Amino acid sequence: MAALGRVSRLLLGTAAPRSPPARGMAVAAHEGGGARMWKTLTFVVALPGVAVCMLNSYLKAQHGRHKRPEFVPYTHLRIRTKRFPWGDGNKTLFHNPHTNPLPTGYED
Amino acid sequence: MTHQAHSYHMVDPSPWPILGAAAALLTTSGLAMWFHYNSPYLVIIGLLSTALVMLQWWRDIIRESTFQGHHTPTVQKGLRYGMVLFITSEAFFFLGFFWAFFHSSLAPTPELGGQWPPVGIQPLDPMDVPLLNTAILLASGVTVTWAHHSIMEASRKQAVHALTLTVLLGFYFTGLQAMEYYEAPFSIADGVYGSTFFVATGFHGLHVIIGSTFLLVCLLRLIKYHFTSNHHFGFEAAAWYWHFVDVVWLFLYMTIYWWGS
Repeated sequence: MAALGRVSRLLLGTAAPRSPPARGMAVAAHEGGGARMWKTLTFVVALPGVAVCMLNSYLKAQHGRHKRPEFVPYTHLRIRTKRFPWGDGNKTLFHNPHTNPLPTGYED
Repeated sequence: MTHQAHSYHMVDPSPWPILGAAAALLTTSGLAMWFHYNSPYLVIIGLLSTALVMLQWWRDIIRESTFQGHHTPTVQKGLRYGMVLFITSEAFFFLGFFWAFFHSSLAPTPELGGQWPPVGIQPLDPMDVPLLNTAILLASGVTVTWAHHSIMEASRKQAVHALTLTVLLGFYFTGLQAMEYYEAPFSIADGVYGSTFFVATGFHGLHVIIGSTFLLVCLLRLIKYHFTSNHHFGFEAAAWYWHFVDVVWLFLYMTIYWWGS
């Protein structure tokens, strides 16, 4: 509860706008030069992290995805209680004919 | 010439609140017309009028603050309270969808095959694009903080670079999620798995789009010299909202994508 008061005072500071504490970096007592630290973090940690994950996804795609599963007409899936208000009313908004079977099976 | 003897902003009469309410009515009744009577015209008018009200209301706030100087520290404090309360309400909004997810996934019913994910559902690999999306949002949290410090230190060029990077990362996330939605082997109609997945991640995606738009507006204002190193609450509000969106994603990732797979 006391922490809540401290947090709200931190957020509601009037004359001196402060940035919200970021993960793990909250107590760095840098006055001027804060921008330099965050710029460094951007180009040394954050963006390389994104690049590594991009590489990871690329390699996984190269490896070949699963073959699409055989169609089994389960009653708890592909529910059509009410028509969709677009098209023929039978396809979801992001319908993909290759990966999304209709209640009667794959289209292709 | 009269002067006010207080530091509050007595706003001039404005049509936007009532027109905004009317727009909301058009949108909601339009949804009913679309879903039940197959007519999309009312919802289109509703969405258009909502957008127009938002554009003009916020334009007026920028006029009142940046150009007319009505946003004293007292006014700013009220705006801070307002943004905090709004984000808190959004947190509760998402809490509901997380509740729904755990309600269905902690005790999967016999209809689902007594397991989670249900029989016949092939969940997305959490170590693939979802992990990339996590890195993207975390990185954007770093870049928006860089932008904030740059604004406070009056480093204009750095602030523009940092905020541009943030907006680009936001758009990258949205693009990747759209692609994931299209490629997913399951849909929203695939029982309670599909419902919880797409409603929770879908509302999150909508908030990413809203947050990216808010940040983009801040970028345009930054370029047009609206912010000072001491007074840039619009930017702070956008940054708070963006961090909130990031945190919601982290919870989504850990629960629905990872634990739920």
